Amino acid sequence: MAKQYKAIGEEAWKNSVEKVNAELFIFTYGALVVQLVRDYEDCSAVNAQLDKMGYNIGVRLADDVFARTSMERCRDLHATAEAISKVGFKMLLNIVPTITGWSADSREFSLVLDDNPLNDFCELPPRAAQEGLWYSNVLCGAIRGALEMVYMQTEVWFVRDQLRGDDTSEIRVRLVRMLDEEVPAGDD
Amino acid sequence: MVLVYNIYIFDRHCQCIFYTEWNRANSPLAADAEANRNSKELVRGNQVLTGDGASSRSSLDGQRPPVWPTTSSSTARRISAGSSRNTAMEEEAKLVYGVVYSTRNIINKFNGKDSPQGGNPGGFMSFATSTYRLHYYEAPTGVKFVLNTDVNTTSMQPVLEMIYRNIYVEYVVKNPLFAIDPLASTPIENDYFRAVLNNYIREISSAAMPTA
Repeated sequence: MAKQYKAIGEEAWKNSVEKVNAELFIFTYGALVVQLVRDYEDCSAVNAQLDKMGYNIGVRLADDVFARTSMERCRDLHATAEAISKVGFKMLLNIVPTITGWSADSREFSLVLDDNPLNDFCELPPRAAQEGLWYSNVLCGAIRGALEMVYMQTEVWFVRDQLRGDDTSEIRVRLVRMLDEEVPAGDD
Repeated sequence: MVLVYNIYIFDRHCQCIFYTEWNRANSPLAADAEANRNSKELVRGNQVLTGDGASSRSSLDGQRPPVWPTTSSSTARRISAGSSRNTAMEEEAKLVYGVVYSTRNIINKFNGKDSPQGGNPGGFMSFATSTYRLHYYEAPTGVKFVLNTDVNTTSMQPVLEMIYRNIYVEYVVKNPLFAIDPLASTPIENDYFRAVLNNYIREISSAAMPTA
């Protein structure tokens, strides 16, 4: 199953996706974060805003990924983790984070990014690092948004970030609950 | 020759966010447009009827089939008296949704694959009556497409998939101004979407009949 996702992801990256200049993308994102920091001046507010933006991106990403590949909805969280890593991240950022840190009840896992492209060219000022800015928080929002579209309510947050001095970046994903499909309102 | 009658698109919240028709007798949109014309209400280009509004209504000026819902008749917004909600159309959309929802659930149950998350693991594709065939496609994110064609058309699954992948995702999902709200529904009011969908359906209708 893992091999299948890998193949799907690579095929999608090669053929189905229009590429954009990575530097342009990285610089645009950097400018965005800088502007947010200037506007809000409070790093936790910036984190929240990045998460919100990521959420709006994520809800659209889900449809996009399904449109470009022929995948069906995953049956369990293990498959979902594989799909996010090998298809989603591969298709959109051309990186494949490793999946580790499964909790005992299989409801939590970690995505470890060794080389987050958004971090290129970026250096956090000590104030931002102190105040707890998660530079790539938009990724967390995007994962949360996309999973919500496939009926999974999740919490997604950064655990470690290379920009803050850790050796790798790590995103933790926790499944809160499976959402039910809405039932049409009956005639009262 | 495929004769496509109409299409409904339902979002995850069981609401009809788009409906348009190409060949339909006794359409609830016809009566509504008549009333609109008579009351001189603001009518968008896509909804004006130039024909005689009689029972049979094939796509009027050939280019612009009527579309529903529009914000001038949106179910969520209009509160003022004399609202221009097309109740008949709303009722019909609800009925259609109910039919496909229940059918899909029964089929899932028969296959032992029903789940509270929905989806279409049972593979409900279409049903036919003596007058039309209804085709169904559900995207993994819960968006549902319902297409009615003549009885002789075998399978429109590839068509519906195409509509999802290349028209809905391209012009609706990727439009940043289209609100995707976890609680509310937004009707699709996007000229590009309508135009591309129109052209695609016309192409399909005049091409050879797709075989299963």
